[in-house]
Amino acid sequence: MNGDGVDIGDRPLTQDLKALPDQDHYEVLEIGRNADSEEIERAYALTRAAYSSEGLAVYSVYDEQDTSAIRDRVEEAFRVLSNADTRRAYDEKVAEPEGPISAGVQTPPSPLTNPREETLLEAGLLDVESIGNPESDIEEESGDFDGAKLRRARLRRGFELEQIADITKIGAAHLRRIEDEEFADLPANVYVRGFVTAYATTIGLEPERVVAGYMARVEAARAQPRSRFRYRS
Amino acid sequence: MAIDVNRGAQSPVGPSAFSKPGAREARILSMGGGKGGVGKTFMTANLALALARMGLRVVAVDADLEGANLHTCLGVRTPRNSLADFVAQREDDLVKLLVPTHHPNLQIIAGTHANLAEAQPGHLRRVSLMRALRKLPADIVLLDLGAGSHAAVLDYFLVADDGLLVVQPEPTSVENAYTFLRAAFYRRLRLAMVGHDVRSLVSQAMDQRNERGIRTPFDLLREIELIDPLEGRRFAETMRRFRPRIIINEVRTAEDVKLGFAISSVCRKYFGIEVDYLGYVNFDEAARQSVAARTPIIESREGSDAAIYLQRIAKKLAGASNGGEPVMDTVDAST
Ligand SMILES: Nc1ncnc2c1ncn2[C@@H]1O[C@H](COP(=O)(O)OP(=O)(O)O)[C@@H](O)[C@H]1O
Ligand SMILES: [Mg+2]
Repeated sequence: MNGDGVDIGDRPLTQDLKALPDQDHYEVLEIGRNADSEEIERAYALTRAAYSSEGLAVYSVYDEQDTSAIRDRVEEAFRVLSNADTRRAYDEKVAEPEGPISAGVQTPPSPLTNPREETLLEAGLLDVESIGNPESDIEEESGDFDGAKLRRARLRRGFELEQIADITKIGAAHLRRIEDEEFADLPANVYVRGFVTAYATTIGLEPERVVAGYMARVEAARAQPRSRFRYRS
Repeated sequence: MAIDVNRGAQSPVGPSAFSKPGAREARILSMGGGKGGVGKTFMTANLALALARMGLRVVAVDADLEGANLHTCLGVRTPRNSLADFVAQREDDLVKLLVPTHHPNLQIIAGTHANLAEAQPGHLRRVSLMRALRKLPADIVLLDLGAGSHAAVLDYFLVADDGLLVVQPEPTSVENAYTFLRAAFYRRLRLAMVGHDVRSLVSQAMDQRNERGIRTPFDLLREIELIDPLEGRRFAETMRRFRPRIIINEVRTAEDVKLGFAISSVCRKYFGIEVDYLGYVNFDEAARQSVAARTPIIESREGSDAAIYLQRIAKKLAGASNGGEPVMDTVDAST
């Protein structure tokens, strides 16, 4: 079998999905900000192959003009990131403003899902989510918290990440990484512990119930030198 | 391998397989792919057995009522009762439709003897089916879906905790997979939107040649944000939570293996959705033979490459879901 040797395990997932024009070089190559040169090269080879004009995955979606534009972005991203100097300069230029996203848009803490049940029923799907329904909290009583569970707990309580960021002064990007379990891009454990505590408190969960289990996941993931595949449970 | 019959709080594969809220509800996996003959049933049968062998209680359900053959792949003789009885409202209790296989921990609900004039359940019946599936006495329920993008098929895909997409390294299969994903995705989005204007905008965008020039979900998002920023955020959040996973079947070359990355990259860049590349299974003559012999390949040819790759996928599946959220994540237990 010729597929051997192609490891599909450890490609990091990007965090925020953006349209191509809004993507930075890392996002274009679909790598994390801490990617080492080996990862960059691998990602470059894969992405280049994916958007080649014969690419099986692209032809029914993109026309040649699109793929050629993507290839240009891929080349440019690789050119910049594969050289330590240009990469550093680039990183400095785009250093993300980590602070909480401005509280400019004042939206009420409304759940992000459609509350109109009858439309859902009409469409064949009832009970799409009982977000905001306090009864559904019972589900959280047992088991350890992972990122996905935190997110569900948050959404159920009608909080948006930006609101938590506003209250806690923790950058929304970090909060999202906690939910996505992008441990590699989070700071040292003591900070993560503080973030998770603040997150839990803000949405009304007792931190005792949350922190130990979550931190166990962080520590386990970090104990492995290079996790082969990132669990996103 | 030891089979843990009274599975308690601990499981042989760690807690994450059971991290679904509600703790004792079954986790639902759906095997879709848009196209017939790509290996959905083969995959379902083998992954179901592999998961059962890990000590998980598994029910494999043949939701392809128009082409039921899952039972055959698992060596079960055409059962008299099937999901068709539930669809036709002859039977309300799914448990009564369970048929044992000769494997510990693995039962099936067949799809045989359907009334082909009315094979797909209507809306309400579909909703009660979803509920009943979650309540089955199982850790994992694996749904084998039919071809095409019928609303019922899309819903089976959307309600799953993990929607799995089987793709062959062939243009037709890849194209159909995108069509399927697109249809599922837009269906999900339309459900998530509240306002009438926004919903109709989504409907317009579903037609790829819409007049407004909306090509991608990103274009659509931009238009929606103009109408209503809150709906825009709802839309973005729905995009974020739609996380299907793909399996490439009948791989012959290293290029074929890379197709999985390419598709997941296109999904990210074009559709704005995160698709996890779960794994691949090589093309193996033994696979064809195993179907002919009505025995899953992981049983009949345990050491074959295909069996090894299938088991690898099963292990990943048992480990964690992709972090996406099913449509009916929180079905109210009281109803
Ligand atoms: N990895 C494989 N290698 C070789 N043949 C395969 C493989 N997977 C599936 N097949 C063949 O393809 C046929 C169709 O698969 P099936 O699972 O019935 O497709 P679907 O359910 O998607 O319509 C099977 O009967 C089997 O002979
Ligand atoms: Mg089939």
